[in-house]
Amino acid sequence: MSLNDLEEGSFCIIKKLDGDKKIVQKFLDMGFVPNSELKVVRNAPLFDPIEVHLKGYNIAIRRSEASNIQVGLL
Amino acid sequence: MIKVALAGQPNSGKSTVFNLLSGVYQHIANYPGVTVDKKSTTFNYKYETLEIVDLPGTYSFSSYSLEERVAKDFLIDEKPDIIVNIVDASNIKRSMYLTFSLLETGIPVVVVLNMMDIAKDNGLELDIAKISNMLGVQVVSASSAKGIGKDDILDAIVSTYKNSELYSPFEINYEELEPCIKDVESTISINTAPISKRWLAIKALEGDTQVIVKINSEDKSFDESFVKTQENFFHSTYDRDINQFLATFRYDSADVIFHKTVIEHKKGEKTFSQKLDMVILNRWLAFPILALVMFLFYQLAIVGGYKITDYTWPLLAAFKNFVIGVLPEASIATVPLISDFGVWMVNSVNALLNYIPIFIILFALIAILEDSGYMPRIAFLLDRVFRKFGLHGQSTLPLILGGAFTGGCAVPGIMATKGIADERARMATILTVPYMNCLAKVPFYTLLLGAFFASDMGVMMFLISTVTIFIALIVAKIVTSTVLVNRETTPFMMELPAYHIPTIKGVLLTAWQRVWIYIKKVVTIVMAVAVVLFVMLEFPGLSSDQKQYFATQESKALEDFDKAIENNLYYEQIKSKEMVADLLNFYDLYRAKRMNTSTPEAVEKLDADFESKNKIFFELVRANDSDSKKVNRALRNLSKDRNRLLREIKDTKIENSVLGSIGRSMEVVTMYAGFDWKINIAFLSSFAARESAVATLGSLYENNKADSIRAEEAMAQNSGYSDLHAVIMIIFMILTPPCIASMIVIKLQTGKYRWMMFAIFFPITIGIGICIALFNMGLAYGWSGLETMVYFYVGMALIATFLGILPTKKINWKGGFVPKTRGIHSNYEKYNKN
Repeated sequence: MSLNDLEEGSFCIIKKLDGDKKIVQKFLDMGFVPNSELKVVRNAPLFDPIEVHLKGYNIAIRRSEASNIQVGLL
Repeated sequence: MIKVALAGQPNSGKSTVFNLLSGVYQHIANYPGVTVDKKSTTFNYKYETLEIVDLPGTYSFSSYSLEERVAKDFLIDEKPDIIVNIVDASNIKRSMYLTFSLLETGIPVVVVLNMMDIAKDNGLELDIAKISNMLGVQVVSASSAKGIGKDDILDAIVSTYKNSELYSPFEINYEELEPCIKDVESTISINTAPISKRWLAIKALEGDTQVIVKINSEDKSFDESFVKTQENFFHSTYDRDINQFLATFRYDSADVIFHKTVIEHKKGEKTFSQKLDMVILNRWLAFPILALVMFLFYQLAIVGGYKITDYTWPLLAAFKNFVIGVLPEASIATVPLISDFGVWMVNSVNALLNYIPIFIILFALIAILEDSGYMPRIAFLLDRVFRKFGLHGQSTLPLILGGAFTGGCAVPGIMATKGIADERARMATILTVPYMNCLAKVPFYTLLLGAFFASDMGVMMFLISTVTIFIALIVAKIVTSTVLVNRETTPFMMELPAYHIPTIKGVLLTAWQRVWIYIKKVVTIVMAVAVVLFVMLEFPGLSSDQKQYFATQESKALEDFDKAIENNLYYEQIKSKEMVADLLNFYDLYRAKRMNTSTPEAVEKLDADFESKNKIFFELVRANDSDSKKVNRALRNLSKDRNRLLREIKDTKIENSVLGSIGRSMEVVTMYAGFDWKINIAFLSSFAARESAVATLGSLYENNKADSIRAEEAMAQNSGYSDLHAVIMIIFMILTPPCIASMIVIKLQTGKYRWMMFAIFFPITIGIGICIALFNMGLAYGWSGLETMVYFYVGMALIATFLGILPTKKINWKGGFVPKTRGIHSNYEKYNKN
């Protein structure tokens, strides 16, 4: 299951990061590290991007990027 | 001198700290070779000289973004004595990730826990002494937005500097990775102090090409392939990716700090920003709020700004009158070249300076949007729309400034593209903003609409101002899938920072700095261009036959004047040509100044001034007795004659000029779009300043005998154009770049003249192509002007919609026995790699 598949308000834990080196590094720098928790705060009014809460801050991420983050529901 | 680098993550309040430390004396330049702003300041504190350089805000120190590369380059090349790391105290868990990267560089660090006030509001209690103890560096607290913490920070810098001998380099124990780090470190044989070799080794293992290239350039014996071997060894032995491994370690370290030093009093409660976002980002309220904000923005900046120019324009006019006063005066219809030149230059500069009040308001409002935290929210709301055209959610503001409603200005629009994180989208936005509806184009439209579409003016104006949005989107799509296709794109992950109330100082400082760049860079270059244009308009000048003709005309006007005032009481005072010329200049100058004077006191003063200059002339201008009235009437006719003559001379000169012949030679192509050489000249000269298109067109078609009819009527009667001609001209104007100033800003923001040239010639080529096609179709099918405009509009709208729908055809399913490369798992790469 990827971050893209989650409903608004759901909590999950990051399992794995897909993609090339560049995007994975970006994920890491923004706080998407495996085994950390995050919450899907809301979808944008036009459905894409989504807003998630992790490591104490809020971040917007496009669905195409979010689909590279494999997660498990909490 | 103590060299200090200010580093921190975006939204940590780094620039407010910089403003707090530096005061208003800031030096702004670019980092070498890139368009990233480099702010620095030098000052004395407690017998030490401090030079503080503000590094670009970065989340980390990998080398995937321009800002990160710039910041890392600075640390490695300039080797600052101290790094001051600004940390968002309300979010230590994430901010300390960068802190650990900075500590590893080996350069002594001072940690500033900024935004302590917000941390307190959010119920966080931080044990600063403990953090300092755990990290082994000085930690100070600050609330830069409230002006708290300046001396503490400076004291910490100075004492860290004085004790730097005692500072031992910071190391994180990376456990399994340690042997690899040690091995790579031992192969670096150069002296890198104060930069830690261990840090360089870690970076090399991370696959940081920038660091590898740097080591290679100084240490020829450094073996890149050894690093690769170590990396592969680690990967195969522990089945862990080095980068993820390192990142996890740094985040875990930040977590340790957080859990041991921070007490959360309001755990689980929503912060103020989160509550506010429930309204501002609400599914139903978000767009109405956005529309309201944009409307207010537009009202304050463009509408309000224009009102202010009503007050500032007289100042510029006074400046112009002053220059005219200094320059040698005209003798009837013979104007010295130097005076012509002076007036031309003042006009060119004034046209640009006139926008400064608007720019000040605009830049201040942009700074407020940026500092308050609303800007990234705009991007969040609209990203989906813009992304389809290769743009970015953050393109919204630049496009609106460029003129998404009834008009805007490309200059602030292009300047506002700075914050766009994605390089390709940023470039595309820069190249797209000039297509928006430039305010200075509006008078041109009004002139043509008044002449040819008097009854459909409202409809036409609506079509003109909204078609620009479609055109901009189409152009964005074209450039991103052609010339910009190989540009770097960044994955879209954008922090939605907590809301802040911007500081007045910060806003004013930013606004002023941006206006200053405009004055310094744009106005100076425009002056250079204005000189070139003047030469091109002025030479070769009049032929001897034409000179003869105008001389006869001039003496004829003089004779008329002479005849009208013979036997007059004042005749003795104005019997020679020089005397008449003096009187005429006196008369015109008084009238010009009187027009800019409104209060009775000012009028009195003006009168007194002129009376003291020449009592008799003043009586003639005032015309209180019957004889002076007669002279005054004759004078008015003479003045009118002179102005007509001057205009004729100017037009003839333009016809003869270099620019004129260019206009003529372009007829070869432009005739297929229905443009004759006069229109070509108007377009050419309008490029210097958009306003002059109206002046040129107006004067080219003015009927010399009938001074009373308006320019629109004159044009409709005298030009011989149909409404089809007019609409093609309007469409061409819509498609052409606004002005030289905006093109220069493109050069500033892209760093390359090449892009400026592209921004000039691409739209002109497209424009002339479309105009030729439309003109000929219009002729063939007998379309009216309005019909042509509607077809153009519908065509553009359809193309834009088509392009917008196009990329949504994607594999939107998954499952089954499929390789991972298919389906939505690889969406990011599919769209952003091509």
